[in-house]
Amino acid sequence: MKRKAKTIQKIKRAASKPKPKGKPKKALPLKTVSRKTETRKKGHFSLRLPGRASAPTAGKHEIPLQEMKVEQAKFYTGVMEQPVYQKSVVAELEHKELAWRYGEDILVLQIRDPWWAHAYWDVSTSTVDRLRKEMGSSFGGGRWHLRSYDVSFINFTGSNAHRFFDTAVDPDAGNWYLNFGSPGTSWCVDLGLLLPDGRFITVLRSNTVALPLDGPSWVTDEEWMIPDDEFRRLYGMSVGLGPNVSSPVGKLWQERLKKDISSRGIASMGVSSPVRKGQEKLPFWLVVDCELIVYGATEPDARVTVQGRPIKLRKDGTFTLRFALPDGRQDIPVVAKSAKIDETRTITPVVTRKTTRQP
Amino acid sequence: MVKGYLCMVLHGHLPYVRHPEHEDFLEEDWLYEAITETYIPLIAMFESLDRDRVNFRMTMSVTPTLASMLTDTLLQERYVKHINSLIELAHKEVERTRWLPEFQKLAVMYLNLFTHARDLFERYHRNLVLAFKRFQDSGNLEIITCGATHGFFPLMDVAKPSVRAQVRVAAANYEKNFGRRPRGIWLPECGYMPGDDEILKENGIKYFFTDSHGILHGTPRPKYGVFAPVYCKSGVACFGRDMESSKQVWSSVEGYPGDYDYREFYRDVGFDLDYDYIRPYIHPDGIRINTGIKYYRISGPGNEKRPYDPDVAREKAASHAGNFMFNREKQVEYLYEALGRRPIIISPYDAELYGHWWFEGPQWLEFLIRKVTFDQKAIRMVTPSEYLAENPRNQVITPSMSSWGWKGYSEVWLQGSNDWVYRHLHKASRVMTDLVRRNPDAAGMKRRALNQALRELLLAQSSDWAFIMATGTHVTYAQQRTKNHLLRFFRVAQDAAGDNIDEGFLKELEDKDNIFPEIDYRVHQ
Repeated sequence: MKRKAKTIQKIKRAASKPKPKGKPKKALPLKTVSRKTETRKKGHFSLRLPGRASAPTAGKHEIPLQEMKVEQAKFYTGVMEQPVYQKSVVAELEHKELAWRYGEDILVLQIRDPWWAHAYWDVSTSTVDRLRKEMGSSFGGGRWHLRSYDVSFINFTGSNAHRFFDTAVDPDAGNWYLNFGSPGTSWCVDLGLLLPDGRFITVLRSNTVALPLDGPSWVTDEEWMIPDDEFRRLYGMSVGLGPNVSSPVGKLWQERLKKDISSRGIASMGVSSPVRKGQEKLPFWLVVDCELIVYGATEPDARVTVQGRPIKLRKDGTFTLRFALPDGRQDIPVVAKSAKIDETRTITPVVTRKTTRQP
Repeated sequence: MVKGYLCMVLHGHLPYVRHPEHEDFLEEDWLYEAITETYIPLIAMFESLDRDRVNFRMTMSVTPTLASMLTDTLLQERYVKHINSLIELAHKEVERTRWLPEFQKLAVMYLNLFTHARDLFERYHRNLVLAFKRFQDSGNLEIITCGATHGFFPLMDVAKPSVRAQVRVAAANYEKNFGRRPRGIWLPECGYMPGDDEILKENGIKYFFTDSHGILHGTPRPKYGVFAPVYCKSGVACFGRDMESSKQVWSSVEGYPGDYDYREFYRDVGFDLDYDYIRPYIHPDGIRINTGIKYYRISGPGNEKRPYDPDVAREKAASHAGNFMFNREKQVEYLYEALGRRPIIISPYDAELYGHWWFEGPQWLEFLIRKVTFDQKAIRMVTPSEYLAENPRNQVITPSMSSWGWKGYSEVWLQGSNDWVYRHLHKASRVMTDLVRRNPDAAGMKRRALNQALRELLLAQSSDWAFIMATGTHVTYAQQRTKNHLLRFFRVAQDAAGDNIDEGFLKELEDKDNIFPEIDYRVHQ
């Protein structure tokens, strides 16, 4: 059974490279990989810069940052803008960029969650050349697709999948998010060319991934049997919904997600909610405070007190004191007593602060 | 009568940040702040419990990157410099706030806190790993390991040799620091992929943890939910996180740390005070940063903040600890009846949340431990090892792939801002595996180069970089770290493969990325 491609989500790649606006990246000449760099204009398989790959978006998904305040706090230094670091010695390397591609034939599938997986790929120039040669004129008519096969519980031979669906992709995008939509199933993906006559030419095949379940297994264990309603209560308690849950077991996970009692991420929501509000940026604001600097000088060996408390003089006999100044009156007697003769001087600044506000 | 167990787990982790090439490096502050605000308060708590003969039980990971930083002499010296500077600032603050008694009381509190931190740090010869080890040796603290550099295993599924290297390097590092093999592991980000338990087994690790759905959605159904561990087919035990106790600490309804009497994290004198005055204590480039001196309480939902009152906050921490204990008692009593066996409640948290984010967290924990020890009979605190020794018979299931990140799977580390890293990480992993295959027994300079290559690869794999890219602050740094380690890896791997090693370059890398001196590149297979 062939199905139409499901919602495809292609996340913008623009921000994803360390230096998004790079010139064409040079591959590092590695002994272990092909030295060939991809040419950027070969018929259908041109490689464009990451930012320009067309990006169909279906439903933006962004991490709710406010829910992750606690975890972020570990890395919070208070600095929002990026300080500029000097280049260090090791790295003339630091001026270099990673290879954009390694000129390999590879297609890798990774699980994002019980529904979605991420595929990334690279097709070598030699493979494209070979295809062009073998397929002749039909190569130009082919369109690049990802074909996703449901291979749950089988040894996939290439033709025995339970079902498959095709997703048109821009090969230059190099990666794609695929919605398989069925937790607990296993998937394998081909990157290939779909010809106008309906034939599909497989170019690369991925690894197989087994999506996790999004609810409890239906498989039970004879030796460790548990009645359904008891399990439901236990499940409710385990995920923090309490023992008296009404939904059937299979739906409890969704309920938990809805209630946002998921992992530490959510949890942090609670912590940050009062805190976060304190951080709200107002459209306009003003903060004013006052400090008072009291400074002076005397003989370096004199003994000096300010408001009755001894202070330390600098070597040259000068001193500086700094006080947060609240509203009201402050009498600040500065008393210096000579070390050599019996003489004491007192100077007392009197300071009054009065603050008014409008509005 | 004991009706159940409580297992408190703290995950102590920071990525490896050490920049000898810079006099002062902003991101190193992550470590210094965590030392002052989390690790030292925790150690002080262990000491205080020990002094009072409280026979407590705690489980804590000290990740290999964290342990490596805590034992690094350069970072130890820099911490002393850092805390000295804070002490100097606190002295000035005591003077400056003379006419504001509410604030002066706090300035004095910080002065004491910082001086005590420095004393404790020096008492353990600047090596806090020794402090943690002391309490493991006394039988109170069970220290577990983690991935060598906190690589997120579910996104290394096509690079299993790297998972193996993460675990083996971690176990060797643990043995060096703690004098025995690790019994348990905190999987980085609590990320479990079925089959990874085999690699744990190879390393003699007896147990790990998953988030609650890791067990609940395992196959077959777990008879006891998350309230008993299960065995994987490999025989390694898996403990599941209890959400109710997590919620008690973090939920918006009942969560403790958001209490208005607790200290506000975001108001710091680094931002609040006059620029010229605070200048010597912020970033040398003149950028305002947090200093750690914070004078306000959360106060309420608005921007108006009132001064912090440590006595009131302490009372709150005590009452919150009592509330937590009461709820665990109720939970355990209910479960004991329902299950027909003693449940175990697993409550894991990031260690750095205690003290750093939730200033009163260590106090809360200490109150909790004391209350559980003296004020009730239903709960006993245990370590997973103790539990397994007493309860060896458990169900065998295959836990489900899961993590404790947002939405429970891989999305935090696999989305638009960070998905580009995997192509390179996997490529590097394949190159490394190939190098190991070709060089089963390298010696001399080549061996050094291959060892360094593995260090660079592991450092690039830290899940922290992808996390930071996803969450937004310090993004450039995280991107640079990923990129630099990969470039260094590819360069040194290429040199090693071609038997054309630039010793000067290698030496520089060994000094700069000096983590895991004991590493053996052959573990990557």
